Amino acid sequence: MKSFVRFSVIKAFVLKELTELVRTKLIIMVYMMPSMVTILFGYGIAMDVTHSRISIIDNDNSKYSSELISKFSHSKYFDVTLTHESEAEALEAIKKAQSDIVLIIPSSFEKNLLKGQKSELGVFIDAAFANRASTMQNYVQGVIQSAATTSAPMITLNTRTLFNQAMRDEDAIVPGLIGLVLLVAPAILTALLIVKEKEKGTIFNFYASPIGKLEFLIAKLLPVLMLHSLNIFILFIWATYLFDVPFRGSFFLYWLSSEIYILISLSIGMLISIIAKRQIVAVVLTVIITILPAFLYSGMLMPISSMQGISWVEAHIFPVMYYNHILYDTFLIGQGFDSPKIVLYLCILIGYVVALLGLGALFLKKEMR
Amino acid sequence: MKSLFFAIVFKELKSFMRSAALVAVVLYSFTIDIYVAGEGIDIEPRNVAVGYVDNSGGGISKKILSNLHSPEFVAPVQFLSQKELSNAIYNKEIMVGLVFDNDFEKLYREKKNTQLNVLLDATSASQGFTTLMYLQSILLSFEDIQIPLELKIHKLFNQNSDNKSFMALSELLSLITMLVVILTAIVFVKEKEDGTWDIMLLMPIDAKLTILAKTLSQVIIVMGGVILSLGFVIFGMFDTPMNGSFWSFIFLTFLYTFSSAGIGLFVAAIAKDVMQVAQFSIVIMIPLIFLSGAWTPVYTMHPFFQVLSFFSPLRYYIEGSESIFYRGTPFLDLYPYYFGVMILGFILYIIGFKKIGRLF
Repeated sequence: MKSFVRFSVIKAFVLKELTELVRTKLIIMVYMMPSMVTILFGYGIAMDVTHSRISIIDNDNSKYSSELISKFSHSKYFDVTLTHESEAEALEAIKKAQSDIVLIIPSSFEKNLLKGQKSELGVFIDAAFANRASTMQNYVQGVIQSAATTSAPMITLNTRTLFNQAMRDEDAIVPGLIGLVLLVAPAILTALLIVKEKEKGTIFNFYASPIGKLEFLIAKLLPVLMLHSLNIFILFIWATYLFDVPFRGSFFLYWLSSEIYILISLSIGMLISIIAKRQIVAVVLTVIITILPAFLYSGMLMPISSMQGISWVEAHIFPVMYYNHILYDTFLIGQGFDSPKIVLYLCILIGYVVALLGLGALFLKKEMR
Repeated sequence: MKSLFFAIVFKELKSFMRSAALVAVVLYSFTIDIYVAGEGIDIEPRNVAVGYVDNSGGGISKKILSNLHSPEFVAPVQFLSQKELSNAIYNKEIMVGLVFDNDFEKLYREKKNTQLNVLLDATSASQGFTTLMYLQSILLSFEDIQIPLELKIHKLFNQNSDNKSFMALSELLSLITMLVVILTAIVFVKEKEDGTWDIMLLMPIDAKLTILAKTLSQVIIVMGGVILSLGFVIFGMFDTPMNGSFWSFIFLTFLYTFSSAGIGLFVAAIAKDVMQVAQFSIVIMIPLIFLSGAWTPVYTMHPFFQVLSFFSPLRYYIEGSESIFYRGTPFLDLYPYYFGVMILGFILYIIGFKKIGRLF
């Protein structure tokens, strides 16, 4: 094998690959899929639970009870319906998924309060979606606590929320979506590039031609890298203009780390393409091993610092965590290269590229098996 | 006719079994992948990393800190200055920082208004909010403020809000969708690519029969995976409650996989090669998953999306399965879900027959 790469050969191959990608209309997909995912899910995933349907059964009909009810109606988290149904009927409505919460105010509510006795409120929550249920529970408790504490507590929390002052869902989710999309989309594109040739038999052109292994890999990856690089900018525009996510860090860092991350994704796809013998295996494998980790270890659903045991280890194995750390920094925090941790993570990402490409070159055989 | 039908089904099953790699990948998805999804994530705050700076030098701060315990919090870490603390938050090592000022203890003893400074990483907004709620109620109970109201909270259907089984189940449902669409589409497109599909259509067999047999074979593969996964992971590893009937879930799953295979058929009709299948199926599946209410409940969506969501078979499937597992809805009350899935499947097959069941 020649020790060095020849640029004229690579150029010819890149042209050929680009023409193929354009001809099969895949070029539309290259740009459509990432933007579609970002826009749909950016609008779609609401971690916050708003408009929970709460049915209140007021058995007291007093001034106090209507005050409590008005606290619920004024909250954006609840859509209140006052019912005169029995408890059983209200519970049946939850069972049919027509209501989420039932709150029962006992008949002696006002009397007990005036006497200074404890009264008991019954709350029933649909917990089929477990995390939504806990959020709803917290909101109910929040409303009732604020309604009940007439005397101000002595210690007040002076909270400064960092990075996402308004606690907007978009700010938390959209950068994570970029991390998701840039891992999945390029990988799916490259996963088939080599295995397709194997199945069709055109891989023999490569076996028989004087092109080197490294040249072949570069020629396969370069067109996809070029096409997907544009997505870095497109997604940035969606995030900042459409979703109004603030951008506080350095754009250079964002661009650099994204290019490296796309390279990682390409290399994962390429590695699958080299190992798999059939296209169907390559497709299914890529979908399975990229989409799930990209969600789980993005930090969107759960902060990495809260992970323990297996999930902590796995989060550190997948490249998603390192990229997302940098991504959230550039959007919401803005430490940039000043933070040693970010420089370290950038180096780890580069390490992934080198290791994956090395593995690819190692497994790619330039002969019949 | 019958023997021909089963001959095609067996042929497809055999060709699936021959590819060891494919079998391995499908097995992996239905077992380890689902296990990882269930084990990995708690959306409620657990093990929140807390750091603090204590300038008050007193006992009250210690008492408050001792209330932060597992499973919600890991033991608080002390930092010497506020700068060190905020550095740790910026590096995402700490999620909540508490700063006790110099006069914290003094003010509290003098029964004046006392402030506890909280620095909160709100990158994941809902967890940030919930953590604040925890802190608030810890302070309330610490000060022993009597609220004259007591809440009796009952969580229906999933008493301990077991998130793991829920995550594993959702992963299973989306996995079924992905696999059945991709597998079915590729079975047809492979033949299109190789040119054997045209020969198939030229043969004196009804194309509908071939199409149905081929989709059935993929449905069988996925159903096999579902049963494995239910046995080993969903019930084996996680204590997923099963309040409804097991067989109504299997029945619903069968209907659903069959109609999702119709989506695969549709993808196969518009795609020319496997590469296009991979791209199209993702572009089609993402809106389907989005509209299904898997992420956000349907009633919180934009009204326009709410109407569209009636066209996602996954919506009927998820609501149906949720009702079976958690709410324990009886078999006959599930009919809207059966019909929803069946009608959509029927439409998809008609399109599929028209699109690829004809030679010209």
